[in-house]
Amino acid sequence: MNGDKVLDAKGLSCPMPVVRAKKAMDELKSGQVLELHTTDSGATNDIPAWAKTAGHLVKEQSEENGVYKFWIQKG
Amino acid sequence: MAVTKMNAKQLHDKIDSGQPVLLLDVRNQDDYNDWKIEGKNIQSVNIPYFEFLDENETTYKDLPKDAEIIVICAKGGSALMVAELLDEKGYKASYLEKGMLEWSQFYHPVTVADDGDMKLFQINRLAKGCLSYMVVSEGEAMIVDPNRHVEEYTSLAEKENANIVHIMDTHLHADHISGGQALANQTGARYYISSSEMQGADMSFEPLEEHTEIRFGAVRVKILTIPTPGHTPGSVSFLINDKYLLSGDTLFVGGLGRPDLGGKAKEWAQSLYETVFKKIALLPEDIIVLPAHYADIQEINEKGFVGATLGEIRRSNEIMRTENREQFTEKVAGTVGATPPNYEEIVDINRGVIKVTSDKATELEIGPNRCAVHHG
Repeated sequence: MNGDKVLDAKGLSCPMPVVRAKKAMDELKSGQVLELHTTDSGATNDIPAWAKTAGHLVKEQSEENGVYKFWIQKG
Repeated sequence: MAVTKMNAKQLHDKIDSGQPVLLLDVRNQDDYNDWKIEGKNIQSVNIPYFEFLDENETTYKDLPKDAEIIVICAKGGSALMVAELLDEKGYKASYLEKGMLEWSQFYHPVTVADDGDMKLFQINRLAKGCLSYMVVSEGEAMIVDPNRHVEEYTSLAEKENANIVHIMDTHLHADHISGGQALANQTGARYYISSSEMQGADMSFEPLEEHTEIRFGAVRVKILTIPTPGHTPGSVSFLINDKYLLSGDTLFVGGLGRPDLGGKAKEWAQSLYETVFKKIALLPEDIIVLPAHYADIQEINEKGFVGATLGEIRRSNEIMRTENREQFTEKVAGTVGATPPNYEEIVDINRGVIKVTSDKATELEIGPNRCAVHHG
């Protein structure tokens, strides 16, 4: 799956992955997809919880070698 | 104004002072519902940190301006962010510097008994609901069910001018990593556990079943080991001076130990039945039961420790009076709920079969305790 925008938040710890994701999302149009990369294990629960609150949709997520990837569609 | 940072001990002192404490937990709702800081005088509010990212006054509507708000998150980062936002808006904000991570490693010792010849401490690891014990007599100490932050025990023993000479686990723990072996290595004390708990283990230990009585100190501190299988096949309890029963995970203030963690719930429930009605039943009503866990802050008594007389426990737990074997089995094997997180891995660590780094150990242990069963 390809995102309209890729945000590399690797190495950042909580709350920065969500803070950056929110900023990036503000610049997208409804229906566009943000691809987020993070190494913060806390994000696996926080990103979906934030997306739900903000009205976005997590279309897909994966984990590989400690890097968590999310594809989030703007609501 | 600036935000004040707080460590776990400072937070606990505040809670312990009996004053009302307002906690704002900014973790996501699932993590909060799974595990949070609780106390009789604590008011706890959950607003996830990401809700503060939008300028929205309704987010703040339940927060008072005239009281101190202590912000909590998983590791401290989000709590600091929210505390600073609150501070900018004129709230009195402080935050727990290392979050639930630090809280999970905080221990609080309480004196249960001081009989002159013998002193008994309960060491409460609040976040996990894990209880361990130190018995001191004439410069010698015994530690029961130590958790893995062993400096808590060495510093307490030092304060009491005592050498740790005996270390025991009542059983092979499934919810937290034992500090028994590490503490033994550090102090030169003997580490005891039942052999049946350690099949396939890769560490040395003193077989507990070969010791029916252990004495230490110039004064007579008598400890009987009573096999009390049920929660695990090799669970034991220790009766100290015929007065205090360190009951491990067999008997709790609020119920019995769960028998299902070995995959043989029905079979182990039978052992638990025998233990309750053929062994514990023989003990006097007025002995004080001191378990290895608690599940609810209501179990902390007015003296500040978790414990109750055997008579009180019998009266308040119907399961202790359910003498019909079938009904008993049905109840204890049927109502156990979620298993402790990562318990299979933790059991392997406690047997010495696998070794993990301190960071990994912290991660495995995070979350609440799930060794007790509540029988409704």
